[in-house]
Amino acid sequence: MRVLVLEDDRDLNRQLVAALTDAGYAVDAAFDGEEGFFLGETEPYDVVILDTGLPKIDGISVLEQWRRAGRNMPVIILTARDRWSDKVAGMDAGADDYVAKPFHMEELLARIRAQVRRASGHARSDIECGPLRLDTKTARVTLDGQPVKLTSHEYRLLAYLMHHNDRIVSRTELVEHLYEQDFDRDSNTIEVFIGRLRKKIPPDMIKTIRGLGYRLSEGDAN
Amino acid sequence: MRTNSLAFRLFATAAAWVLLVLPVAGMIIYSLYREEVENSYDRRIGVLLTVILSDSIDHGDSEPGAPKDVGEPLFEITHSGWYWQIKPLDGRPGKLLLSRSLADERIPLPSEAKVEPNDREVRWATLAGPLEQTVRVAETIYVFGEGQSAQRYSVAVAAALEEVENSLLSFRTRLGLALALAGIGLLAVNLFQIRFGLLPLQQVEKGLSAIRSGEAGRLDAALPQEIVPLQQELNALLKSNQDIVERARTHVGNLAHALKTPLAVIVNEARDDSSSFARKVSEQAEIMGTQISLYLDRARMAARIGVIGRVTEVRPVGESLIRALERIYQDRQLSYIMDCPAGTRFQGERQDLEEMLGNLLDNASKWARSKVMLSVAPVAGDPANGALAALEIRVEDDGPGLTEAQLGDPIIRGRRLDETKPGSGLGHSIVADLAHSYSGRLELCRAEIGGLSVRLTLPLAS
Repeated sequence: MRVLVLEDDRDLNRQLVAALTDAGYAVDAAFDGEEGFFLGETEPYDVVILDTGLPKIDGISVLEQWRRAGRNMPVIILTARDRWSDKVAGMDAGADDYVAKPFHMEELLARIRAQVRRASGHARSDIECGPLRLDTKTARVTLDGQPVKLTSHEYRLLAYLMHHNDRIVSRTELVEHLYEQDFDRDSNTIEVFIGRLRKKIPPDMIKTIRGLGYRLSEGDAN
Repeated sequence: MRTNSLAFRLFATAAAWVLLVLPVAGMIIYSLYREEVENSYDRRIGVLLTVILSDSIDHGDSEPGAPKDVGEPLFEITHSGWYWQIKPLDGRPGKLLLSRSLADERIPLPSEAKVEPNDREVRWATLAGPLEQTVRVAETIYVFGEGQSAQRYSVAVAAALEEVENSLLSFRTRLGLALALAGIGLLAVNLFQIRFGLLPLQQVEKGLSAIRSGEAGRLDAALPQEIVPLQQELNALLKSNQDIVERARTHVGNLAHALKTPLAVIVNEARDDSSSFARKVSEQAEIMGTQISLYLDRARMAARIGVIGRVTEVRPVGESLIRALERIYQDRQLSYIMDCPAGTRFQGERQDLEEMLGNLLDNASKWARSKVMLSVAPVAGDPANGALAALEIRVEDDGPGLTEAQLGDPIIRGRRLDETKPGSGLGHSIVADLAHSYSGRLELCRAEIGGLSVRLTLPLAS
């Protein structure tokens, strides 16, 4: 899952990036409205954390421009302006959620998870696919109740596939959603991680659809 | 009409002028008229004296003769008030001639009253005459005969003043009546003039009361030229007042932004560290956060007090809040039911109404199982304690609600009735503070649909 953190305060931005990376997200950081707008318009983010008081272009305008340009990724506004008039203005501009500063990181992470789930059409916080179960709250994967040990990259890949199970996910989509902006997209790391995942879960659950990408499904096991 | 009013000042000045000028004018007119009437009476008496004297001389030199043709029939009627008399003086015998009108009476003589003659040898006096009439007497002394037989005669004509007095009295009455009517007329015109002239001030008053009640933002009435500068100044003042409030609000918001971001950094930084120092920092930072919210809210409220009131339509506010909440609580599939008659208006700022309704609806959404109800209705005031009509806002949810004990507790800032849901514990107390600043109130009770019912009573805009 790829997240854009658009926050002009360097320290807070760093903290957010660190916390989100820890939680298994691929995180891009931007510090002003112009750069943030550009990233949000060109990169496929799963969630955007948006501060309203940004230099160059303010957060609400950035959001409105994205929505006008047809970008509909979930956006969580993170702001010190916690009056309901600000919240309503933010939601009316197209935000999906609103978190007021000072905030608890756990709460923000929970809201991000909720947005990701919502965007991929899952109503509950744990996603099941056959014997596999993903607890988005704890970032743990279990297979038939037994924990599956995953590296952070493996987790990112599997979590993305589980959010979009039964759907063909292209290699490009995976690269775009799993890695930060400056990742070398020509490398064949996706294939490498798919290979590793197949060793940890029933191998036929992840199918390679030639020329199109991969699909995670309950598999033939059942 | 109160004494300290423009109308009173104008009216009192005019009334004083009328009350002063009309009597003085009346007195002057009356005295001029009286002088004229008396002079003409004297002239008539003088002419009659001349006629009677010359007529009596015509009878011979030695003694006076009865005047034959005086031309005044009143001399013939007894006690008519017009008399003549020719009387020998110095106690010597002589012919005493009297007008018939005198009968047995005699004319009191100015010469006997020691009145000095004027340059035409006529003595004038006003004396008590026959039958208790006051008479105007003209007397001249003529010597009939020559040598030893020379005899001084007093020739006198008297006329009762009653006639003059009567005529003067009637004039005085009519003059007084006319002047009094003129005075009343003047005062009435004056009163109308004041009312009509000060009419635009009533417009100003209406305009100002509209501004106070929030129906207007400025004074827009078409006012007379003299008041236009006042109107312009007033509008400029209102504008600058609004600008100051706007600026204060902006600064307060900026302060919030400026403080809360570093605070968020501190809280997050301390959270990653398990030392006792970090715990202390974290704890203190939370307190700072609460304090900042508290004083920012207070500052916002203080900035509003004394500001010209505004009117906010309730329905659009409810709609936009529900739209936002439906999105925030999308996963919960809550149904929001709003019952708010269109045109219901809250007397106050939109931001404040949003804050109160937003917090109440948000709180209800956190606890609700399936639905949140917002009902808004104007309620009649209680005339017994002089309460005005109010706006009653009820937010209800079908969540677990509160226990009787919790319902009875006062709403205390920062204390959370249930710690299991995220929140600062400020929601209800912010609403209570805001409601209080609008002289409204907040009550918690059990909802019919199961959960908590919060009733908020606020001023209703007329």
